[in-house]
Amino acid sequence: MNAADAWLMIFGVALVSLAPRILPVAIFSRRKMPPWLEKWLSYVAPAVLGALAAVSILAPNGSLELSRENLYLWAALPTFAAGLITRSIFLTLLVGIAVMAALFHLLG
Amino acid sequence: MNTQELKQGFKDSFPIILGYLPLGFTFGVLARDAGLSLLQAVAMSVLCFTGAGQFIAAGMFKAGGSLIAIILTNLLVNLRYALFAASTVPYLRERIPPALAAALSYGLTDEVYAVSMNRYRRHPAATPYLAALVACSHLGWIGSTLAGALLGSFISSTDRLGLNFALPAMYISLLIILLRRRSHIYAALAAACTALLVGQLFPSTMANKFNIIAATLVGATLGVIWDERR
Repeated sequence: MNAADAWLMIFGVALVSLAPRILPVAIFSRRKMPPWLEKWLSYVAPAVLGALAAVSILAPNGSLELSRENLYLWAALPTFAAGLITRSIFLTLLVGIAVMAALFHLLG
Repeated sequence: MNTQELKQGFKDSFPIILGYLPLGFTFGVLARDAGLSLLQAVAMSVLCFTGAGQFIAAGMFKAGGSLIAIILTNLLVNLRYALFAASTVPYLRERIPPALAAALSYGLTDEVYAVSMNRYRRHPAATPYLAALVACSHLGWIGSTLAGALLGSFISSTDRLGLNFALPAMYISLLIILLRRRSHIYAALAAACTALLVGQLFPSTMANKFNIIAATLVGATLGVIWDERR
């Protein structure tokens, strides 16, 4: 593909990336949402985070890795503990990054 | 303008930016490798602001995929954002003017969504907060893309810095904070199992994030069912 195709791709991807985020807000801001839908949507955040966390730790490279060699699994344990204790995103992030860097140098 | 809200938005964007550094950097490297110019690589992060979608687009572009296929795949990858966006509406209503709320929602990535939802649990939504959170996160994404596109050939790996664990660590901490009721825990567990199961059975869904959409539908539905049965 040439440069013009690349630009077409960029604009096309931009359209389909931004529209799904903007349109639902534009549509539902102006009309009432049925209560059951509102309730269902309140479960979207816990569900999405559960899915993202599980995949990023247990399948960091695109397939399930339930082995001792999976550093993400080991790094997740102290990170979970830090999250439960501190309840701070920033501190949890620092613990996770520090543990991962240490694991990388010790075992990686 | 409420400067307290503005400051909090800046502050809350910091963990997101930390998570974006290695990802945006990697995208910058990949985009150049795929044959995009420096300007195109950066423009893509400016105009699209979609992590997985941009990686997939660069990969398909390099492999000579058709324009239609690249855009359709991205549409599917980004459908989950529609769910996220809809679920923020009850918090934004009457707090942020509808047109502005819709415009700011352009920046509702996985991470911005999770951080802002966490904020709305305890504080009402406010325009300066969301604007600062979105703008800073987006600038972090653009800056790290630029760095990757410029310096990619000089730096071997950010893994040694542990930065590859920034996003998983953020998902963990957000998950812990968002779980407030027993039914939330069941929803998260059901979604976690569904995402892994669907991803394992249909490997392509790991890359195109369909497993996350399936997991969201299953997890949220089971959460509601559990809540109603009590």
